[in-house]
Amino acid sequence: MADVWAFMPLLIIAFGILSVLLMGAFVPGRSGTVAGMVASLGSAFWALQEPPQTAAPPLGIAFTPFSRFFIVLFSLTAAIVLLLSHDYNKRRGIGGEEYPAAILFATFGMVVLATATNFLNLFLGLEGLTFAFYILTAIDRNCSGSGEAGLKYLLQGAASAAFVAFGIALLYAGVGTLEIQAAMNAVMAGGGNVPIAWGGWGFLLIGLAFKVSLVPAHLWTPDVYQGAPTPVVAFLSTGSKAAGLVALVLLLTALGSGSEMTRMPLWWLSLLSMVLGNLAALRQRNLNRMLAYSSIAQMGYVTLALVTGTREGFSAVILYAVIYTAMNLTAFGAIASLSGEKRMDEINEYRGLGFSRPFQGGMLALAMFSLAGIPPTAGFMGKFAIFAAALGGGETVLAVLGIVTAVVSVYYYLRIVATLYMQAPEGEEASGGASFPEVAALCAAAFVILLLGVYPGPLMDVIDAILG
Amino acid sequence: MVNDNYQILTILIFLPLAAIVPVMLLRGREGLCKWLACSVSSIELALAGWLFCLAPVLPSASVPPPGYFIRQDFPWIERFGIRYSLGADGISVLLVLLTAFIMCIAVLISRKAVTKHVAAYHALLLAITGGVMGVFLSLDLFLFYLFWEVMLIPMLLLIGIWGRGKPVYSALKFFVYTMAGSLLMLLAIIGVYLIHGNQTGHYTFSLLELLGTTIDQSAALWLFGAFLLAFAIKVPLFPLHTWMPDAYADAPPAGSLILAALLAKTGAYGLIRFAYPLFPTAAALLSPVIFALAAAGILYGSWVAYAQHDMKRLVAYSSFGHMGFIVLGIAAWTPLSLSGSVLQMVNHGITTGGLFVLLGMLEERADTTAIDAFGGLWGSIPNFSAFFLLFALASAGLPGLNNFVGEFLLLAGVFRVSPWMAVLAFAGIVPVLIYLLRMVQKVIFTQARTPLGLRDVSLREGLVLSACAILIVALGVYPVPLLDLVRAPVQLISGGPGGLP
Repeated sequence: MADVWAFMPLLIIAFGILSVLLMGAFVPGRSGTVAGMVASLGSAFWALQEPPQTAAPPLGIAFTPFSRFFIVLFSLTAAIVLLLSHDYNKRRGIGGEEYPAAILFATFGMVVLATATNFLNLFLGLEGLTFAFYILTAIDRNCSGSGEAGLKYLLQGAASAAFVAFGIALLYAGVGTLEIQAAMNAVMAGGGNVPIAWGGWGFLLIGLAFKVSLVPAHLWTPDVYQGAPTPVVAFLSTGSKAAGLVALVLLLTALGSGSEMTRMPLWWLSLLSMVLGNLAALRQRNLNRMLAYSSIAQMGYVTLALVTGTREGFSAVILYAVIYTAMNLTAFGAIASLSGEKRMDEINEYRGLGFSRPFQGGMLALAMFSLAGIPPTAGFMGKFAIFAAALGGGETVLAVLGIVTAVVSVYYYLRIVATLYMQAPEGEEASGGASFPEVAALCAAAFVILLLGVYPGPLMDVIDAILG
Repeated sequence: MVNDNYQILTILIFLPLAAIVPVMLLRGREGLCKWLACSVSSIELALAGWLFCLAPVLPSASVPPPGYFIRQDFPWIERFGIRYSLGADGISVLLVLLTAFIMCIAVLISRKAVTKHVAAYHALLLAITGGVMGVFLSLDLFLFYLFWEVMLIPMLLLIGIWGRGKPVYSALKFFVYTMAGSLLMLLAIIGVYLIHGNQTGHYTFSLLELLGTTIDQSAALWLFGAFLLAFAIKVPLFPLHTWMPDAYADAPPAGSLILAALLAKTGAYGLIRFAYPLFPTAAALLSPVIFALAAAGILYGSWVAYAQHDMKRLVAYSSFGHMGFIVLGIAAWTPLSLSGSVLQMVNHGITTGGLFVLLGMLEERADTTAIDAFGGLWGSIPNFSAFFLLFALASAGLPGLNNFVGEFLLLAGVFRVSPWMAVLAFAGIVPVLIYLLRMVQKVIFTQARTPLGLRDVSLREGLVLSACAILIVALGVYPVPLLDLVRAPVQLISGGPGGLP
């Protein structure tokens, strides 16, 4: 029974997927959003409780405080995405039960990933969530860009899956176990065939770099962000990225710190992502593409904290994962809410919206300030934690280079604010408020941004506790 | 820990920030928003005045650190050793009073000038008030950085939305410039924090605890350089001033006023409060460079000001030159020159602020500030012209008016450290006189060019201008209360007897 009790978050989501799909047969309509909300919130609340002691981690899954923290994060993210999607999908004519079911299926993959103690479960979780995103990306049949984005994502995602699978195979060949902790201990201790195991680690890293879109594995990001439905992008850029970070943190904490073999690749991934992401974002005319490059750069900052391999570094990564989720949900949520029957693509279309549609414009501006790392928003607190960890871990050069690229990023984020508030709208005044679900979702995310910006103490304590 | 009952410092910072909420809620009723902003800034002025009069004699529930009158301190983010730590010494009190005064004027001069998005405009003014107050009162480096950035966002929007000319370009240029310096300073702040923590095992951002940190020479130079860069951009110090003329000229009247009178002071204040005391050896090593840059700024500012055709740009460059004097006084780092610099920060805020107020009024009436557009104003609007003449003379350093006192003290202090610098700076006063008098002569005394049909100052404007004028004369004749207030902190900071020789 204790096992079932601990498994409940997974079971609730799985049951949610089934019931959403079955309900489609009996009560066609839009009840999927409600059912999905119930399932994801239920799993989040269940995961908040302390599970009873189970005998041994069954099936390579463990409900540690770490994994329960991320179950809550992923479930809440899914709930907000469902809220954001409800009216967007109505406007864009995306129907059917497969949409909420796929969102829940992606959440299921993320949760499996966060609970994995074994490479096979890690792989299943990673591919499960990516599979759901293949569907979600291409789900907008009225938009040719959506199908194109889906195909690009599928092709590159398949390649990255191959990298991850091959990496796991090599690790297994090298050290003879699929348990993450045991395998990583063996690698560090030099047991087994170490060169092959390190080769496996390298492949694994490339595959994960694809998931969190670090340069040079970032090429899919701008196209997918541009083509996919905006709420899907919101989920892709938050849940999927955070899941990739969870995988990296799981592996790196198991690996222990201080190894040049883990440090150098991450160092270069971080630097290239910060530089290329920020420079490329400067030249974008499409807001979603700009945010794609921005998320590449943001992931570069997170990797900067990963490079250190210190406890402070990992706690900064987790803190930033939470903050980044709130920021991107707000940004893409506002864009989704602004988009009517026609998508809002070009940055120029946002002229003057800060005054004509104050709620969504204000939310978008808040997200931009936070992404630029300007206090009193959470983005500043997150960047502060990252740079404090980087300097504390002795990565001075990378931290200085990172700060210089952050100055560049301030320009393109504020260009959006300037477009919203300082330029006169062209043509007729756009108008239209946000619907109730959108207001609720955006207010929740914005509340997190402001709260963590001025009072991050309690969350930091929680993160400290879950790192054990 | 020290936890005084006096919540006045917190109220000074958060009253304007809290007032943003009702202002935004009442955005439909513009008159009410104006009154609300006006009354909040009056309350701020009253509180600051109360602090100014009573701070030195207030009984303290616990003993604040030496030199400080009031201190408020409790933990905020304990994981990083960040505390909500505010404190007021003589320098802070003086600048808080200046802030409250200038913000009052900023609200008053905007009553007619602002016609679009009135509520948002006043909310931003209130936000700037809170931010600047926070900068002048923070004793925790993290908290200071937070307020340092918080005051930028409203300024960016103020220039960008209500500015003229090329507002978006100027606003973004201003912001990106400032952020570039600030972000490097953030790294330096973390650096000091880590060095102190590694040495003592006690991780803290508290300025008073960090002051004693021993930092090896090369690290100190880099860290000081980062602080210096951030503050020099804000002052601005030559050659980091290129954002300044655009931002000053394109900002709305209240914006130029705040930029010149307050934001420039935050940079100089940062040098006095943080950069120099934290890294004394590095500062001593680099002070010839700062001397040279400040002197170059004085001469360059005057030279370029002479070539301007637009009065706003002319006053902007003149303000830039005057800030060079203030930095010169800081770089000399003697009690005398520091007293002069702090006094001059207040004086410069009032005179340059007053000039920007006048130019804003002119802009409101004639829609231009080009020198060529005006002439013979003495005949048509005598009251306005009289104020203009007075402020320009004060700005040029006429004895008996306020700027003279500050510049005199400051240069006397500099003379003891570096006579040649003082001579060079003295020489820099002459062109100031020339370009200011040339502007006054062309605008006020030559024949009227085109009948503009300007109206003279209204009662509200007259009130604002008279307040400035009274202060200009009063501080020129009797600056002793101010000097008494800054004597103790200046002595403590520079480690020598301060005040008048």
